[in-house]
Amino acid sequence: MKSLINFIKGFNMTRRTTKMVLFLYIINLLFSLLLAVPLYHSLKNHIGNSDVGDNLENGFDYLWWEEYRDQSQGLEKTFTPSIMGKGALLENLESLIQMKFLTYPSSLILFGFLYILLHTFLSGGIVYTFFKEPPEFSFKRFFKGAGKYSPYFFGIMAVSVGILLLVMASLARWFGSIVSACAKNSVSEITPFILGLIFSLLIWTILLFFHMILDYARIKTVSEDRKNIIKAIASSVIFVFKNPGTTLGLYYLIFSVNIIISIIYIIIQSLIPQISLWGIAGAFIIQQSFIFALIWTRCWLYSSQLKLLRYLE
Amino acid sequence: MLKKTVLTSIIIVLFIPFLYASDPFFCPQTASYKIEVNLDTENNTLEAHEILTWINNTEEPTSELWFHLYWNAFQNNQSTFLRECSRMGYDLSDIDKDDWGYNRVHSIKLMENQDVPGEDLGPSLEYKQPDDMNDRDRTVFSVQLPRPIEPGETISLEINFSSKVPAPFSRTGRYKNYYFIAQWFPKIGVFQDGTWNCHQYHAASEYFADYGTYDIKITLPSSFKTGATGEYKNKTNNGDGTSTHHFYQHSVHDFAWTASPDFLRSVENYEFTPGKSVKITLLLQPYHKHIKQRYIEAVKNAVRYASAWFGDYPYATITCVDPAYNSRSGGMEYPTFFTGGAYFISPKGVPSPEGVTIHEFGHNYFYGLIGTNEFENAWMDEGMNSFLDTIIYNQAYGEPFYSDAFLGIPVAFKKVNIPIESEGISSHRKTWNKDPMQRYSWRFMDQNSYGANSYGKGQLMMLTLQRMMGNELFSEMIKEYSMRYWWKHPKPEDFFSVVSEFAGEDMSWFFNQVVYSSGRLDYSIEYIKNHTERAEEGFFENQYVSGQKSEKEDDLFLSEVLVRRLGGVKVPVEILIEFQGGKKIVENWDGQQRWKKFAYKTPVKITRAIVDPLFVYVLDTNRTNNRFSLEPNKKAAYKWVMNWMVWLQHTMEMLAKLGS
Repeated sequence: MKSLINFIKGFNMTRRTTKMVLFLYIINLLFSLLLAVPLYHSLKNHIGNSDVGDNLENGFDYLWWEEYRDQSQGLEKTFTPSIMGKGALLENLESLIQMKFLTYPSSLILFGFLYILLHTFLSGGIVYTFFKEPPEFSFKRFFKGAGKYSPYFFGIMAVSVGILLLVMASLARWFGSIVSACAKNSVSEITPFILGLIFSLLIWTILLFFHMILDYARIKTVSEDRKNIIKAIASSVIFVFKNPGTTLGLYYLIFSVNIIISIIYIIIQSLIPQISLWGIAGAFIIQQSFIFALIWTRCWLYSSQLKLLRYLE
Repeated sequence: MLKKTVLTSIIIVLFIPFLYASDPFFCPQTASYKIEVNLDTENNTLEAHEILTWINNTEEPTSELWFHLYWNAFQNNQSTFLRECSRMGYDLSDIDKDDWGYNRVHSIKLMENQDVPGEDLGPSLEYKQPDDMNDRDRTVFSVQLPRPIEPGETISLEINFSSKVPAPFSRTGRYKNYYFIAQWFPKIGVFQDGTWNCHQYHAASEYFADYGTYDIKITLPSSFKTGATGEYKNKTNNGDGTSTHHFYQHSVHDFAWTASPDFLRSVENYEFTPGKSVKITLLLQPYHKHIKQRYIEAVKNAVRYASAWFGDYPYATITCVDPAYNSRSGGMEYPTFFTGGAYFISPKGVPSPEGVTIHEFGHNYFYGLIGTNEFENAWMDEGMNSFLDTIIYNQAYGEPFYSDAFLGIPVAFKKVNIPIESEGISSHRKTWNKDPMQRYSWRFMDQNSYGANSYGKGQLMMLTLQRMMGNELFSEMIKEYSMRYWWKHPKPEDFFSVVSEFAGEDMSWFFNQVVYSSGRLDYSIEYIKNHTERAEEGFFENQYVSGQKSEKEDDLFLSEVLVRRLGGVKVPVEILIEFQGGKKIVENWDGQQRWKKFAYKTPVKITRAIVDPLFVYVLDTNRTNNRFSLEPNKKAAYKWVMNWMVWLQHTMEMLAKLGS
């Protein structure tokens, strides 16, 4: 019940800071455009004057794509039918759980790293904006918070990446070797598949759990004006373990919202025929609304967690 | 005792034709086998007694016999097979002592009959290495005969052999209680043109053998279910916990079998064409129970469509085996008997298990009935059969969907269809300059080149021929080729000759380029230009003209289309040229020079040009450059980059969670 109350309160808080969400969305959009523009030129050049463009406007031309793929390098290699529509979400889910991000082209890895750094910096502004009651977005306040807390947030980011690498290097590798051993001796592909799925879910749950703890560490850093991230993390661990049901409940409520948004997006985007300028524009609006909604829920998570922290302490 | 066995064997061999008198043979039974084999599932061994009856169906005598002993490829890491595997990068480090497998010939005797005196040929047994001089390879042996066997003469041999069943290295072996037993017995080579065609076992090669009758009795623990080449005659309970299963098939060139207590067996009679039926047996893994119907339907479609394309399937049975997980026996073909392959999740529209089922059934034609030499002319079975499976799949199911697996779960992308022309073109594009299509299988530059040339390019050539000849003529041609060479060993020239016969011209210009050379076929439209004709200016007949255009000249364009041949393969092509207002012209170019320009003086501009507009040349490695439009579509790149961008944005949001 406490989770639900603060879930709703968080929603109202986020609603008051839609400008901030919009700002974060624009950053996401601009950042992605940095790579989308070169890819656009690559696609445009490859299509050239060929009327294969008409096929591509009306659908997907697999034959053309095979040619493009066979001649492509680096970032272009990521342009596959597998990342279209629902594939985008599934691909990223798999990439996160299996750390496939590390197999991406180096330009994309570097780009991703820069984005993590930028967002770590901005997170201070997000939490600081919500810290004020009632929350109100202004660039001045946002960047004041971002600047003030970024050293601590970078520290927490380092812990977050460290945990991720630790989980991947130890647990995921161990799970991987168990699945391989099982696959080698199994009588069917079903056992290693199920085992793999269970381990993936387990890794996912562990990562989300750590993520939640570190969320509270960030919030506590701002709300309690902490200067020591280790103490902030320790304090958030104590907080989470003292209120496991409520904190996890809230976390999974937002997580469920994310899932619902994703499902709605998959359904709607699949219904839009991208075969005319209006169709393409419509799909773009849906796609960007989806990204906006995801960023919105990320802010919603912070605001709800902040509310919960205040509520319980 | 031995004498009694030999005598019994002679009687049985002599009476085989009478025992199955109701079965008219489809062809000369050059190499016939009667084998009694016992599988010891405790020790994973075979004990067998083989009687081989061989007829010298050639015009030349021979004083020696050559045999394959394929399983010796798995007896140590010095065999040619495992050396080649090692060079290909296969990890051979974790082979246990019990994993190795082999064949051992204990005795080989010429059986007494009226013409040839009985003799033990064992002392003359000598291992041969005709392909690579690897004297550690033991996959081929020869024996000397006391006197030459004359053309038309028949001999019988009695061979006692035992085998250790290997762990599954490739295509055969055991995995837990699943046994897939192929290439398992001493098998005589093919005596052709006065020499023995009997190659060693290679990593990238299949087989070649003569047709004959296989009369095989397999003794297994009674709990085991089995399936094999040919008709299941009966089962005898031996009262000692074992049963003997009797299989028989004439007019085939190989015999393989499988055994496992876990199989779910389904049997259906299927009338694939009015009055002609086949008994379909499916041996399914229990965990694939839910895809039984997809397997059965795939076999039915394969029999039905293949019969229409290549002649009615002549045998009474077909057995499809769903291979055990980890058995490495999936996707292999043997006469009337093949393995499919499936994953327990398979969305509709994704060709699993249908694709592999149709392909492996198809080998009953391209290798089974049309007994090409897979060692030497791999494209004649794999290429033609890939063509078969593609056309049949598309006829029966339509274009398959693109699919990918996420966390092990296959997902179909129903908006992305895979067109028939894409089959094999990507691999050909990457390997076209490595090898010609016609090479001995183990002599390709690498495994990719072997696969691309034998499967991909072979298929593309067939699709191209289909479009060059037109579907009707091509269908007649391919059926004629198929049926003319049933139960024979055609060579590439035989196929070329049938094509030329139907095409009404010598097609060697095409085959020389596509089969025997490693050229690339790539035609392109370089540009379209539309100029207005410059008004006359300067001195004409001592009279100065100022350069002002007349009204008529204003309306005319000098329009040009430049067509280029970017690859080495020269073929005649059509060029479709479209003008404003919808006027269309089709031009022809022999494609011999590197480029050709088509120029027109017309009142309207050229808007579009397409070289090979009917997409005849499926072998074209770059189809995008075949088409040129004056007004290229600008929306396509926007559309797809937007779709890609949402993935990138989502990726960034996922990554952001690491830091915020």
